[in-house]
Amino acid sequence: MKEVLAIIRMNMMNKTKQALSDAGISSFTARECVGRGKGIVDYSILKGAEKGYDEAISQLGMSHPLVPKRWLSIVVPDKLVSKTVETIIKTNQMGKAGDGKIFILPVMEAYRIRTAEQGDQVLDEA
Amino acid sequence: MVMIRAIIRPEKTDAVLEALMEAGFPAVTKTNVVGRGKQRGIKIGEVVYDELPKEMIFTVVKEQDKDYVIKTIMQAARTGDRGSYGDGKIFVSPVEEVYTISSGIKETTEKLEEVAL
Repeated sequence: MKEVLAIIRMNMMNKTKQALSDAGISSFTARECVGRGKGIVDYSILKGAEKGYDEAISQLGMSHPLVPKRWLSIVVPDKLVSKTVETIIKTNQMGKAGDGKIFILPVMEAYRIRTAEQGDQVLDEA
Repeated sequence: MVMIRAIIRPEKTDAVLEALMEAGFPAVTKTNVVGRGKQRGIKIGEVVYDELPKEMIFTVVKEQDKDYVIKTIMQAARTGDRGSYGDGKIFVSPVEEVYTISSGIKETTEKLEEVAL
């Protein structure tokens, strides 16, 4: 089994939830996070603004140090990984920087607490 | 590829993010977490605080950059010369595949390829 960790835009959350449940992947965990990508943030502006230079303060709003995002963590059996990734990419792709990233991590074991079952049977199957 | 998860003091977040930017690793994600460590929280008088606020920052880098990034985070997140309790932990875990949603490019340790939808 694998963990699919996706970082997506906040306003895409409802669409993604819908698309995932349509694809038969119903269980996931989501949380709020903030982050930045490859864009370079100029820290000298922040430092200059702290010291009170007018030139730096006027440029403060132009760069965004950290952007709010949604963090989705989905644990799926091996055969569902590609379907999950395709669903997320298809729903979230606007073709612009900031659409997000998907990471695939190995998971060693999974348990269902209610019944103490173990393995792939505790996960979604489709 | 490896994922580096660092749990650090909230007041050190800006220093770590700035150090990472200067080191050439701009991409990070950050969330608020609470937790305790080996010292079982902090005891002040009679009261024990075992849910201490921390920040978790996580970044995914190539394997050859791992040591450099860890060193950068450690230098920036330490308090005092030799560090002190509560400075945090860094965890490293393997990542098998990375997808960029906007371009649909798939990255693995070996190669880059485009995903057909």
